[in-house]
Amino acid sequence: MTLTELHALVPVLLLAAGAVALLLAGAWKASYVTAMTYGVLIALGGGVIALFYDPGAGLVGFGLFTFDRYSRFFAILWSAAAALTLLMSFRYGKYRSFMGGEYAALILFAAAGMILLSSASSFVGLFLGLETFTLVFYILIAFHKGSSLGAEAGLKYLIMGGVATGLLAMGIALIYAATGTFHFDQAAFIPSGDQALRPLLLAGWALLLGGLGFKTSLVPFHLWTPDVYEGAPPPVAALLATGSKGAVFAALVLLFTGSDLTGSPLSSLLWMLSALSMGAGTLCALRQDSLKRMLAYSSIVHMGYLLLALLAAGSTGSGAILFYLVAYSGATLGAFAVLTALSPATAEAGSYDHFRGAGYRQPLAALVLLTCMLSLAGIPPTAGFMGKFSIFYAAIEGGYTGLALIGILSSLISLAYYLRPVMVMYMTGPEGGPTPTKTPCSAAEKSVLIICLLATLLLGVYPGPLFDTIALVLP
Amino acid sequence: MPLLSLLVWLPLLGALACLLLRPYAGAGRWAALAVTTAVFTLNLWAFLASRGLDGWLWQEDHAWIPRYGIRYTLGMDGLSLTLTLLTAFLLIIAVLISWRLDVHAHFFFSLLLLIECGIMGVFLALDLVLFYLFWEVMLIPMFFLIGVWGHERRLYAAVKFFLFTLAGSLLMLLAMITLYLVHGDQTGHYTFALAALVGTELPPGLSWWLFGAFFAAFAVKVPLFPLHTWLPDAHTEAPTAGSIILAGVLLKTGVYGLLRFGFPLFPEPAHTCLPMLGALGLIGIFYAAWIAYAQNDAKRLIAYSSVAHMGFVILGIAAWRTTAMEGSLLQMVNHGITTGALFALIGMIDTRAHTREISKLGGLWAKTPVLSAFFLFFALASLGLPGLNNFAGEILILIGTFTAHPAWAILGLVGVLFAAIYMLRLVQGVLWGQPPSSQDWADISWRETIILVPLALLVLWLGLYPHPFLEALRDPVQRLLLGSTLAGLGGMP
Repeated sequence: MTLTELHALVPVLLLAAGAVALLLAGAWKASYVTAMTYGVLIALGGGVIALFYDPGAGLVGFGLFTFDRYSRFFAILWSAAAALTLLMSFRYGKYRSFMGGEYAALILFAAAGMILLSSASSFVGLFLGLETFTLVFYILIAFHKGSSLGAEAGLKYLIMGGVATGLLAMGIALIYAATGTFHFDQAAFIPSGDQALRPLLLAGWALLLGGLGFKTSLVPFHLWTPDVYEGAPPPVAALLATGSKGAVFAALVLLFTGSDLTGSPLSSLLWMLSALSMGAGTLCALRQDSLKRMLAYSSIVHMGYLLLALLAAGSTGSGAILFYLVAYSGATLGAFAVLTALSPATAEAGSYDHFRGAGYRQPLAALVLLTCMLSLAGIPPTAGFMGKFSIFYAAIEGGYTGLALIGILSSLISLAYYLRPVMVMYMTGPEGGPTPTKTPCSAAEKSVLIICLLATLLLGVYPGPLFDTIALVLP
Repeated sequence: MPLLSLLVWLPLLGALACLLLRPYAGAGRWAALAVTTAVFTLNLWAFLASRGLDGWLWQEDHAWIPRYGIRYTLGMDGLSLTLTLLTAFLLIIAVLISWRLDVHAHFFFSLLLLIECGIMGVFLALDLVLFYLFWEVMLIPMFFLIGVWGHERRLYAAVKFFLFTLAGSLLMLLAMITLYLVHGDQTGHYTFALAALVGTELPPGLSWWLFGAFFAAFAVKVPLFPLHTWLPDAHTEAPTAGSIILAGVLLKTGVYGLLRFGFPLFPEPAHTCLPMLGALGLIGIFYAAWIAYAQNDAKRLIAYSSVAHMGFVILGIAAWRTTAMEGSLLQMVNHGITTGALFALIGMIDTRAHTREISKLGGLWAKTPVLSAFFLFFALASLGLPGLNNFAGEILILIGTFTAHPAWAILGLVGVLFAAIYMLRLVQGVLWGQPPSSQDWADISWRETIILVPLALLVLWLGLYPHPFLEALRDPVQRLLLGSTLAGLGGMP
């Protein structure tokens, strides 16, 4: 590894080294609040370095990863997500006695893994990046020792994740056997020459997609999602919903860059996965009575939309994915931040009853949840609308009108479940359910809420600069 | 002076001000009144300043999202002007009628102003995406108005309203993107500007699909016959101010969209659809009148009468003649004023009697003579008494329709008779008969007088001398009929 490669890796190294430092420091003097504060600073530092320090494009680690503008874009995004996750965990973790620096360190490790995955340029890089943060999530999901739901969720994710890892490794091995290379650009989907190896390659792709489907909870690999979301601490679920899934899509964009999916067997497979995720996710989300479970199913639907954009491919599709990831991350982080902020010191806010009348008791939190719900539903003037707009645009341009119609239908139905928490907050009184206790937002939580609110609205009415940036960073 | 931007964004600023004034009780309504009055004054100034002018009176055009060729383009012609004027006027009425509201009052008034922002944007936007943005933005505050301050079944009505109207508009979004891509493929110039897209040559099949998607979005809003079922629920459950805005302005956005976007963008399918449009209008007139007659809830009765009145508007457009078209556009204003006034009056009766059921009301004439006189006046205006505003609109529609389709006009004329039947039943049930309780009610207050007198004067003005409004509408109607709606839209991309 050369010095240039190290230079390129600075944001990731900062996050990882910072995490290690936090762990070590925790061994001497375990202070949760101090560790969290440093954690936020380290995460922000990683983002700022990625923003301003341009090491030039370069392959890292024998071509496992490529660090260029594209990776820096995601380095900023995932560092910001980690910083926001840490910010929203301050009060939550304090009341649940999260000790020392472990929590902050794990979140930073996860962010480092996501950045690695977002810059993978080979199947090995993809595997390494994915496993880096998946391992961290096994711990984070069960981090709250007192919660039996958390332990159950952790176990569930561990077992499912283990299976997914197995599928992924096997798939990569088969693809390697068929093509003789790990590198994305050389491992073309369908071998043009040797037809004898074609079944091997297709089997490899099927296993690979299965593994990635587990990680991004695409239907029919989604069954773990609602339980894990429900059991995990809300800030962890926030990072799980945004970063861990977004990073996979970032890698998928790299994987499919420059390849024409039209007519390949993969295309009909992806079509099915996308349609199923949008359809089944929407129908299941309708029946939920808990905000966390609803968000879990809604994340499945959003993965379906992203897959639709991936199918459409081309620069329009990839650009749509990037914009959508930013919009979706902002809204999802915001929604989980509201969940965290409205969670009383000992209990968890989850069921809609907790939000009764919140619109008038806690106007800021309710306003943020309203904006995030509108954004997830794709209603203007929020970032979600611009995201959906660009995805449908890419879909129609790519000739996937049928899938776009399914998407339209599902986003219409989605309104029914996105409006429910809003109606509970603004249109029902506190009567008829347990009296919710008013929990004052801490300053850190307030800052997360305001950042998500402003980002969602600003990207909704003035998305031009982000679109321009994305056009610049696309590989 | 960026007049058009002011019309759109001043209400938004007012909405923020209302929220910020939350600590001061009563400040929200004064802020709302000040802002709506300012917007109305600006609009009135524009109306007076534009007398005798044709074409695009004001335009604004700035880059917005260059990557997708989306621009911030606003434009005002006589049609937009008439409708924004109506909006600005009815918003003042809506603020005044809600003056006494004390449940989350600041939130309420900021929502009213948000609706004003959205509707102004709809009437002024000339870029398809910008239009779509405002089109959906106006739904959210209305959803809240119905859901928070509505009556018993408010949640059901709010969700139904949102889902129905969104269903149509999402299809429209798909159609917009398709149109944009086709136009870009043909000319190499990717833009969402209405002026540029108007000339797009579409394959016949595709143009039908696209027109269908646009038509669905607008037909739900009008609402045309089979798509009207959200309206009675929304109207009945909404608070009075919400009903006034819904009936007075929101329904007009559907017709406006059809005329501004539907016909110019897809002339061939649109013209082929004219007979169907006329038939749907006629069905609306009779069907709604029939159902209105059967209603016991006074508000629901007026809601169905809206469907019938909008049927007349559609009939006039379907006739595709100058006179009928002018009558239709005038009738939109008329309907906004009379129905707004009737909803306001029913709201006033409701606050006194605590019921809107016709069978439980009655004998109002003896208890509150002034209120009852106003009620009778507006009810007569609504059923089309000559000399009052609805007559002026209806006669123009019928005359114009007669020259094109005599049969339609005759049927429409029978429809006027139907309107008389249900309106007289309403008047009979509410004003005369046995009073249900011996309790005395206060007659109208000074605030209610301030609301009703301007409405009454407008009814007379539009009934006796509609010329200034027709003058403003003449040029847009001519250009629409000639198929050159956007000629003279100079300097636009």
